[in-house]
Amino acid sequence: MKERKTAESENKAVRVYGGEKLPKDFERCLKELGFAPQDFIYIIPVDLNEDCEFTTGFVCLGKEKLVSCVAAVMPNEIRYFKGSANINAVSAEAIRDWKTEEFEVDRVNEIKIERTVGGGVLAALTDEGKEDAVVAVFSNRKMGAAIKLEKLYKELKEKGEIPTEQLEEEKSDEYCPKCGTMYPDKERKICPRCMNQKSIFIRVMGYLKPHWKKIVIEFMCYLTTALLNLVWPYLSGTVLYDKVLGKDDAFLGSVGLNAGDYMTALLLIVATMVVTKITIQVVGIIQGVLTATISPVLVRDMKNDVFKAMGRLSISFYNSRQTGSLMTRVLSDADEVMGFFTDGLPYFIINIFTITATAIIMFKMNVTLAIMALVFMPITFFISWCMLPRLWHRFGRRHRARRTLNSRINDNLMGARVVKAFGQEDNEVGRFEKANNRYRDAEMALVAYDNKFYQLYHAAENLAGLLVWLIGAYLILIKKEFSLGLLITFTGYVNQLNGPMDFFSHFIRWFTNCMNAAERMFEIIDAVPEVAECEDPVRIEKLNGDVELRNVTFGYEEHKPVLKNVSFKIKGGEMLGIVGRSGAGKTTIVNLISRLYDPNEGTVLIDGVDVKNLSFDTLRGNVAMVSQESYIFIGSVADNIRYARKDATNEEIIRAAVLASAHDFICKMPDGYDTIIGSTGRMLSGGEKQRISIARAILANPKILILDEATASVDTETETAIQQSINMLIKGRTTISIAHRLSTLRDADRLVVIDDGKVTEEGTHSELLAQKGTYYKLRELQTKALALRD
Amino acid sequence: MENKNVNKNGENEEFDLAQMEEETAQMLRLRYLNRDNAVFERTKGGFVSLKIGDEFYPRVGVYASFPFADPEKYISIREATEKAKEIGIIMDLNADVDAETKKMLKEQMAVRYFTPVIKKINSIKDEYGFAYWDVETSNGRCKFTIRMNSSSVVYLTDTRLLITDLDENRFEIPDFTKLTAKELKKLDLFL
Repeated sequence: MKERKTAESENKAVRVYGGEKLPKDFERCLKELGFAPQDFIYIIPVDLNEDCEFTTGFVCLGKEKLVSCVAAVMPNEIRYFKGSANINAVSAEAIRDWKTEEFEVDRVNEIKIERTVGGGVLAALTDEGKEDAVVAVFSNRKMGAAIKLEKLYKELKEKGEIPTEQLEEEKSDEYCPKCGTMYPDKERKICPRCMNQKSIFIRVMGYLKPHWKKIVIEFMCYLTTALLNLVWPYLSGTVLYDKVLGKDDAFLGSVGLNAGDYMTALLLIVATMVVTKITIQVVGIIQGVLTATISPVLVRDMKNDVFKAMGRLSISFYNSRQTGSLMTRVLSDADEVMGFFTDGLPYFIINIFTITATAIIMFKMNVTLAIMALVFMPITFFISWCMLPRLWHRFGRRHRARRTLNSRINDNLMGARVVKAFGQEDNEVGRFEKANNRYRDAEMALVAYDNKFYQLYHAAENLAGLLVWLIGAYLILIKKEFSLGLLITFTGYVNQLNGPMDFFSHFIRWFTNCMNAAERMFEIIDAVPEVAECEDPVRIEKLNGDVELRNVTFGYEEHKPVLKNVSFKIKGGEMLGIVGRSGAGKTTIVNLISRLYDPNEGTVLIDGVDVKNLSFDTLRGNVAMVSQESYIFIGSVADNIRYARKDATNEEIIRAAVLASAHDFICKMPDGYDTIIGSTGRMLSGGEKQRISIARAILANPKILILDEATASVDTETETAIQQSINMLIKGRTTISIAHRLSTLRDADRLVVIDDGKVTEEGTHSELLAQKGTYYKLRELQTKALALRD
Repeated sequence: MENKNVNKNGENEEFDLAQMEEETAQMLRLRYLNRDNAVFERTKGGFVSLKIGDEFYPRVGVYASFPFADPEKYISIREATEKAKEIGIIMDLNADVDAETKKMLKEQMAVRYFTPVIKKINSIKDEYGFAYWDVETSNGRCKFTIRMNSSSVVYLTDTRLLITDLDENRFEIPDFTKLTAKELKKLDLFL
């Protein structure tokens, strides 16, 4: 920060968008034109020339002149786009030619961005339009800069100067100082690369903490099994063959048996072996039961956390992601993570232990044989390490193929009505088959590759086994320094290694999958909602219901404003009608009032308080919306109406339903208010759903009621009925009503006409008619069109 | 702005349903432009102007109806205002206008549909929900980043890919089957 300040003071007055450093060569170019950077108020970088080739360029805004300078293309220059590291590297210290153009601020009325598909053209607009000219061309990378210039120019033309606060630096993207990765979230400076897998791992361990006692017992079980497994080859090899079948009297003596009592010894050894096996089984059962009790609890905890986090997040979060992928996150990611932590991790530790212990025993028994048995292990590990990325690739491909297939099915089911209506079943089958074939190919490629893995491992295992037998036999027969029992014990240990080897072939993938799943979950759990309650919010007990929009600019996507500088006021208790063609931004306005989104610029005020400072309780308790898309949750009719106020009595519910003209049809349903509706229950018509959601809003008894095309899907008769109930409803509240049908708005105290994101007309019904503008036109059209039809 | 002579006296007159219906009807009609009725000219400022009879537009927008499937046909000529009302349509750049006009309009479209073509893939690295691309394009070497979701890489046809970066800059691979096996492997993530 400090460094930047000094750089600025050197450059005195001029500000450069994003705090970018100006190349020396560009300053030289300005000098040749007779300028210095500080002759200008603001400079923005651009990145294309007129022929749409990437290069370096600048547009400089001064009080009298607007100068564009675009450097000649340097073919070997690398172009960095948002997100790639090294973004602010000043590449152009080289000397090159500049193409410059000067415009007189006096003659250019407006600087306007002509948006293209991948960027825009800065156009200088003049009187009559005959001398309109291209100032600069840029890609979307520089869109923010261009918008800033457009705005500053407007300011300069209107006021003759630009207030310093307007020159404030825009918040630019932030990059991790350590590794240069862009922070996915500007507000939360967390670098995904530096927040490495270690910290994710530790966080997941946090979930295990409350269950530590059970986990310790579970671990002991694993350990017991591993130890007993180590004893097994010794029992079934050395003891059985060499000591008992080999008639070793010394051994019999050492276990307290009479010499020659081989039958008892045999029985004893068999009994020990049985007990060992039974113990292994019992311990296995205990461990299984423990896993079964811990794992589901952990999975539930994680799912709860994710779901809670999703509820907290803003609407924009849902808009930018597919419902399907969100569902996977809640459902399968938690399973994936916990499966690994309760199953994979203990096995990992035990297997490491088994391998080490086995290796030590082997080396103690015979060094040559041990080397033969173990030599293949590092080789297979190395080969599989090399093969793994390709295996993951294939897994990834299958995953994506499955996703495509799922979305294809989803698409088809959702559009079933259209498919049937146009008789496209056969074509749809074709489309499905294409995706299905792709899935088959991916699956086959995966299985084929996965098989190679098994072949490799089994080959290594078998080879090691064979070698041990071969050398062992040689040692017994020729060298006579080894016994059959020892050899059998030894091969037993060799086999013991197979399990852990197989395990390790999967382990890395398992681990990575788990970490990815955990990362995805934490991404949601940690995500900061864009619309969040401020600290120490204002609570208002009794709202008056004044609503005001002050210079509000807003767009769902960056740099694409839907509302442009919208301002209007509604007094408490008034009804405001919003009129405008579809896509004009009407629904966006009410989304901002109910704070589903925050405006990019300007403020929304309720009772004079910025909604950003209002507590969610006050806001949600006082603002209710009936929108064009009414959603019915699974549950009874009564539950659905009671949605916003859980403590409402049945009488209140009926009263609300009567007011919403819903009582009638609800009573006619077989189970009345107890009828189960929603996705699994009884089908409701659009109008019926609409009326239930109106009843819901009536019961919520809000101070500010928003009706967004609330009566659009009901017939005229019902509309009249609802209109009457709305008339009763709006008494004492502020109502904002959006409607295409102007008849719906005849009771509005005031009307606002929105066109292309701007308020174009405002006033009472008669004032607007007198203006003979859009409202007049619309009304005439609606009445005359209706009259003609009669 | 002031020089739009289409319906410029409409505001002073009383509301007229017939006129309005005429306007609506006009919206539903396609007007075909060709060398006989339309004169396109380059302006000094780098734009294109259009003269049709006594209508004059100092600056027009040139839009392709099928920018991918058929970029030289059904060219929609629109007003340079925010509404971008359609003035008319050129059915076929090769048949309906002369070579010079075609060149002029294609230049305008080149700016509008600017999309570097990816010629070679140096590397694609996917990490934490983003994929970092390093490619050679028709416009030099580019390093850009995309979000790892289904809308960032779109199949325009079975073999043609459109890639959209974080700022919505677009890149195109006209036929990914023509890439080398090595490059395909890097791209595999998205196929």
